[in-house]
Amino acid sequence: MNDAALDLLDEYLAKARSGERAALAVLVHAHQRSVYSLALRMLGTRDLAEDLTQDVFMQLNGKLKAIESNKHLGFWLRQVTANRAIDQLRRRSRVQMTSLDEEHQLFSAEDDSDPLLQRHLRGLLSDLSPPARAVLLLRYQEDLDPLDIARTLDMPINTVKSHLKRSLETMREKISGMQPTRCEDHST
Amino acid sequence: MSQDIESGMRAALRPVAPSDEFSQKLLAQVVADPPARSKSFRLVSQGARPLGWWLTASLAASLILAVGIQQHLQEQRLRQSGLEARREVLQALQVTSQKLNLAYEAVKSQSTSLAGEKPGV
Repeated sequence: MNDAALDLLDEYLAKARSGERAALAVLVHAHQRSVYSLALRMLGTRDLAEDLTQDVFMQLNGKLKAIESNKHLGFWLRQVTANRAIDQLRRRSRVQMTSLDEEHQLFSAEDDSDPLLQRHLRGLLSDLSPPARAVLLLRYQEDLDPLDIARTLDMPINTVKSHLKRSLETMREKISGMQPTRCEDHST
Repeated sequence: MSQDIESGMRAALRPVAPSDEFSQKLLAQVVADPPARSKSFRLVSQGARPLGWWLTASLAASLILAVGIQQHLQEQRLRQSGLEARREVLQALQVTSQKLNLAYEAVKSQSTSLAGEKPGV
């Protein structure tokens, strides 16, 4: 952890709280990648992810006075993004499928792991229930431990562990069996 | 195998950046929006009753004039505030990418220990 950087962000937060908009812009820039990625992988399309990202940061504008530190800010952003995405998904009868032209956005171009494995994982992730998907994203995208995930999603720790265990077991079975997953359908 | 899947998940779920176009629009919108806007106000209380037509008319005219002036001033303030916000956004965008990367890395490294600190706003 870089203390200087943390101090810098806390300093920007203090300035943003006192109405300095340039400082707010820096905070938005620092956190937008996390919020957008979470929204994109929860909701599956760029348009929906952009809408949610925008809504979350607009909401932040009104809540800024209540944010006490940069840690708190990160926690609040993840909490609001994940919960609003879960609500949206619950309102939809079926998860909207991801189109091929957006597929590349769901995964980082920087990684060099097996693209086929990623394709399987994408299919499996989008097959999960919204809460289970949020748990996996917070675990593997945001690197949160189960306790932090439980706090973020306001979920019992055992439920978080259960989601992680069951989801990984399912993935292991499907991938080791090399069964064609539903991701094939999603991408067409 | 589980470890393979976990490392595969980590690789597959690395955060991705939004498009530059969206990012710029987001920054402009968030920064230009005042944190707290006062709600619209009523010109006359609902229970008020005029004494006569002329009195009502003159009162209404005065109020319209006052509101008009106030709106005009407010628009001027908002315009000025918008220009100021735009200037500040441009200033913010001039922050070196090194600083922003540093900030982003700090956010990432912080993520594992933050949730317990504040369970919500």
